[in-house]
Order: sequence, then structure tokens, then C-alpha cells
Amino acid sequence: MNIAVLFAAATAASVFRIVPLACDGDRLVVAGAGVLRLADGVTCAQIVPGRAIAVQLDDGGRATPQRLPPDALPAAKIPRTAYVLAPAADRDADETQLVTTTIDVIVPARTPPSDDIYLSTERTSWSPAEVRMDRVDARRFRLALQLHRGARLAFRVTRGSYGTTERDASRMLPPAHVAAGEPDAHVTVVVAAWADID
Amino acid sequence: MLRDDAFARTAAIVVLTACAVLSPARAFARATVSLDGGSIVFFSDTLSVIARDGATLRLADGTRARGDAAFIDLRTDRAVLAGHARVTRGGATTGADAIALELDGDRVDLLDASTGVTSTTRRLGAPAPAEFDAARFDFPDVDDRGAFIRSRHATITPHADVRFTPAAFPTSVGGLPVPSYLYTYATAAGFGASSLGGATFDQPYGLFGSPTSLTALHARWDDGPGPAIALQQQIVSGDAAYAAASIDQPLRGYSVRGLNAYRRLGTRYTAEADASSTIYGTLMHAALTAAFGNAGGRMDYTRTSGGASSYTASLRTPDEPLFGGITWRLTGSTGFDAQRGGLLFELPDAHDFATVWRNGLDLFLATPVVRVPLGATLATTLDAARTWYAFPHHFDTLTGTATASRTFSRRLSLFAGYQATWSADVYPGTQSLFYPAPIAPLLLPDGTPYYGYAAFTGARTYRAENAALQITPDINTSYRFSVVHTSDFPQFDGFGRPVWEVRGDIRFRPFPNIGLDVGRAYDFDWGGTRWQPRWSFAITP
Repeated sequence: MNIAVLFAAATAASVFRIVPLACDGDRLVVAGAGVLRLADGVTCAQIVPGRAIAVQLDDGGRATPQRLPPDALPAAKIPRTAYVLAPAADRDADETQLVTTTIDVIVPARTPPSDDIYLSTERTSWSPAEVRMDRVDARRFRLALQLHRGARLAFRVTRGSYGTTERDASRMLPPAHVAAGEPDAHVTVVVAAWADID
Repeated sequence: MLRDDAFARTAAIVVLTACAVLSPARAFARATVSLDGGSIVFFSDTLSVIARDGATLRLADGTRARGDAAFIDLRTDRAVLAGHARVTRGGATTGADAIALELDGDRVDLLDASTGVTSTTRRLGAPAPAEFDAARFDFPDVDDRGAFIRSRHATITPHADVRFTPAAFPTSVGGLPVPSYLYTYATAAGFGASSLGGATFDQPYGLFGSPTSLTALHARWDDGPGPAIALQQQIVSGDAAYAAASIDQPLRGYSVRGLNAYRRLGTRYTAEADASSTIYGTLMHAALTAAFGNAGGRMDYTRTSGGASSYTASLRTPDEPLFGGITWRLTGSTGFDAQRGGLLFELPDAHDFATVWRNGLDLFLATPVVRVPLGATLATTLDAARTWYAFPHHFDTLTGTATASRTFSRRLSLFAGYQATWSADVYPGTQSLFYPAPIAPLLLPDGTPYYGYAAFTGARTYRAENAALQITPDINTSYRFSVVHTSDFPQFDGFGRPVWEVRGDIRFRPFPNIGLDVGRAYDFDWGGTRWQPRWSFAITP
């Protein structure tokens, strides 16, 4: 089996979701990837830079824009051999993907048992009661968030007010924690103390 | 009192005014980046700003860049111009199919679909061949329906904030437009601090910002005062220090002025100060904390404009293991309480007791979370404390808590808890002076007499049992139903805690970019009302 056959097998009936950066003549620049060649007869007329479209690759690796199907593969799956101008290194992250990131918070034993635990994030200018966490047991709370892959969410832990923000073991304000938008990412935060207790 | 109150009011207003005046100047003095487009969308989780239908980027050094579309990654201060891209600085100009540049750097990468990638600088000298780094030409694949904000103009202060003018918060049923919205993404700890009191609902609206400051209006709502508008100024130095000053003005009721400051002193010490002032007076508090390994100590001094003050210095041990995972901690304290004109006003010679010193010991025990029968877990704590005064008087408290949880499935959990506190305020030989038998029965808010209050001679009991059912059908939805029953002494209809409270909370996401957390609670048959409802409400991006 030669390379051309392998390439054809990999791309046959495969539709890829891409973000075009530019289209000039028969060249289509794919964001975060390389430069594809358009199939014969295809023009740049229906391509809007920055707006996601689907392309189907023929046996020769030439691209034909398509309607965007829900099951289109990410641009990272385009075979490197399809590019007439390939990047120095492949990227394998699909940034369109919504991934679940789980945050576990373990609170100190002195936490009032009836208090709720909240995340405070930069998204609300650090509102102290932004997202209420779900209780797991007496001292563990959990929140699952859907983030775009590659996202980074900075957060702190509170009991619902500015005066009940977490402190570190030295009773100092800790730097923000970061939840990363990666598949099955899991962050565990152990709260050493609260601003209003101890 | 008037002098202290006037001083606190003047100090708060001076700080607030100075900060409000200086902060915008600082913000505008910083290098900013502006982006215009036929449409602009902003995604808060990835900190991505995307302009379409013609984009123009203006940098602080006079560099201009245009393209069919543009993407700015606020996390990395990187911009990509896509489609018919051109960059201009002074008389120099160059073009490419796509251009990548750094907001706070000099590098400019040009991608030509036919010839590949070349690199130059903001001075736009002759470009040199460069490696094709795909990451530099990334442009996110996003669904605009999930955008947090839609706009047409964005002004970015790197590492601090982005202002959208105008701004709309799109939902599937329309967008809420505002003339301008400042989104702060600085992560310094001080931006999470506030001198505002707690509120049922608090939505900040940024007015001016910089990497080290933020001036914000707060739309607030709280049970009792109702709606309120607050203005707050924060000044921040990384995670090491902050100062916040605020004025909170309910639409009905009195205003509250607040001040809050924090400073890290080396690796072991912190200094904090806060103050609040209302028509009833001023409360000021200062504290120093120290850490010695896992042990620590703190000093607190509080003073009111009414002539009251208190001081406490305490030392605590680390949480030490006892056995079976149980830990203990001992805290010892000393300090005084003082009141101008006399602290123990029940005494005929009260003026001789303007300051009363005290010493305290507090022993705290905690079990780990352990498995118990029926597939449940249990954690308990016990806290015993005694405070001795330099007067025949001591105050004892004993508090126990137990929290059990049972997880039936990934979606269904049940919790039950018990908390009890017994306290005794003991004045040997003078108990009846400080807790005299009432001559007439205590009248409750509804006018009925509370005869049982005659049995109260300083010993209190607080007991609460609670149960909660938590249902999380999917990642974006959580229901919680809880019941709390209290059995205290003294407690009667309208006096003390309500006997029964029922509460429901739901956290859900009605739109891709907006989540809501709504709570509703009822106190039953208390204080002459059949039920007393309360709301809580929060908006989540």
C-alpha cells in the first residue's frame, strides 16, 4: 500500500471543521494549522476569515468548503500531508471542544457546618458568591464546570462573602488557583484557613 | 462620638475621592490597545476577543493593523489579523494573508499563503524568513451564541481589563445592552477584597480600571434595606497588599461607609485594618497575624465611636494528631474589654470597671470524615472554651457538631447535621444582679408574653438539626432542598431563632453564557407570621 492510498484512506469522507485565516487564489490558510490547496473550481468567495467552516479533502488533499456538519473532525486531525505549507509542529488540541473540569475543595474542620462554599472568579470581578459548590461530605465540596479546551479559569474559595475568603496556612491571601480546560482535568484545593476564623 | 464619626466619614470620603480621581488617570496613562469591528464577541472562559466584519487594531505606539477579522488572546497578549491583513506604523506599511503580533512585544509575523512565514518588528523593517509556528496563528473556533459580551469597540489594558463600548449580554431571548462595560481579569488577591458588607445580591459594574486599581458601582439587594447602590474603590499591589473604600447607599435606609486594608509583612506576618461608619457610629478594627510553622498568633484591636474598645492577643498550636485521625488544637488568649463610663453598668460603681482584662482557653477537637453503617460518612467536632475576667465572672461554651452524608448515586446525595452549643455566663455571687428575674414578663413582637424567660439566668442552649437533599441531574443543574429545626433556650415565638426553616436552591444555566442560582427560604410560624419568605439570587457567567 503506497502513501497515496494511505492518505486517501485517512481522508475519505472526512470533513474537517476549520477556521480560515485567509483565502487567496487557490490557497486556504487554516488557523493554528497550515495552508491547504482548494479543489479545482472552488473559489474564495464563500470563505470568511475568522468564521468556522467545514472542508472536505479529496484524494489529493485538496479542500472543498462544505456546510458545517455536527460531526466534523477538528482541524488538528487534518493529515499533515494535506498541507502545501505545513507548520513546524503539529497541534493536537481541539479548542472547540467543551471539556469538563472538576474542582474539589477540602475545607478545614473549623468551617461552620451549615455554611455553603463558593467559587469566586475573575469572570464576575471576583464576586464572592459567584458559584455555589455541591457538597460531597462534611468537609469536601465539588463543582464540575464546562470550559473550552485550553481555557484557564482563575478562582478563589469563599463562604459567600468578601470577609470569608480563604487564607493560606500563614493566614495570608493566597494567589488565585487555576482550573485548566483540559479533558477530565481535576483540581483539588485544600483550604488552610478562612479570613474570619482563627 | 461625633468627632470619631466625622473623622471616619471624612477619611472614607477623602480616600474614595482621591482613588476615584487618580484611578482613571492611572488607567488612561497606561498603554492601551483598542479594537474596532463590525461586531466583537468576548468569551470569558478563554479571555478571547474576536472582531469580525472588518477589524482595526490600534496599539499604544501608533501601530495600526487591519484585517477582515481579528482575534486577541488576553491571556497571552497576542493578536492575529486574518484576511487582507495590513500593519502600518508611521510611513511604513506591510501586508500579508494573516499577521500575528504581540501586544506587549515587538515581534510581528507575516503569513503569506504562497510564500510562507516571515518575521519583522513593529518598526516594519525588511522581513526575514521565520519558522511557521502554528500556535502564533491560532484563531479560536467559537460559537458566537456562547459569547458573554457583544460589542463594537474594545479598549484593552493588558494584564488588567477590557472595556466594551457598547456592551450587550446576549441570551437566546435577546440581549441586555449597557453603554459600556469594564471586564476585569486581573487576578491579584486584592481585587477579591471589599469594604462592603454582605448582601443577598451584589453585581459590580466597573467604571475605571488599571492593573492596580478598580473603581466599581455595585447594584445590591439585601433583606431589610432592599435595593442599594454602592461605589467602591480598590487599590491593589499584587497579592501582597490592598486597600478598599466604599459608600453603600440603600434606596431606603442609611448609608454605610467602609474601609478595608491588608498588607503582607514578609513571609510570616500580615497587617489588616477595617472600618465602617453609619449614622449610629463608627467601628474600627486593626489586626496583626503571625505564623510560626503551623502554629500562629494574632492581635486584634477594635474601637467604636461609642467609647467601647477591645483588645485580644492569641496564640494557637498547630492541629496536632491525637489518635484515630482525631486532631486537637489549643488556643490561648488574653486581652481586655473597655467602655467609656464603665463596662459593667449593672454595678453601682460601674465607673471603676471601665476596663476589664480577661484570659481565655479554647480546645478544639475534630474527627476525620469516617465511614459509618448504611454507606454514610460522618465527621464531628467538639469545641470547649472558657474565658476568665478580672472580675468574678467567667464565660463557658461547649459546642458539638456532627455532619453525616450519604451518596446514593452520582446525582443524589442526602445530608444530615446536628449542632449544639451550651453556654454559661457566670457571675459568682452576683448572678442575680446581671441576670435579674424580670418584674414583668417579656413581651414578644406580636405582643404575647414570654413567661419562660424568667427562667433565664445566663445559661443558653442552641440546638439545630438539619437535613438536605441534593440532586445534580447534569453538570449545569443542581437542586437542593433543606429543612432546619432549632430547639434553643431562651426561644419563643419571635424571640431567638425560628423553629422551622425550609429552603430550596436551584443552580441552572438557562443560556449557554449565563447561569443563575436562585434560593427561596421560609421561616414558619414565627413572630406572628405564618411564614416569612426570603430570596437569594446570583448570576454566573
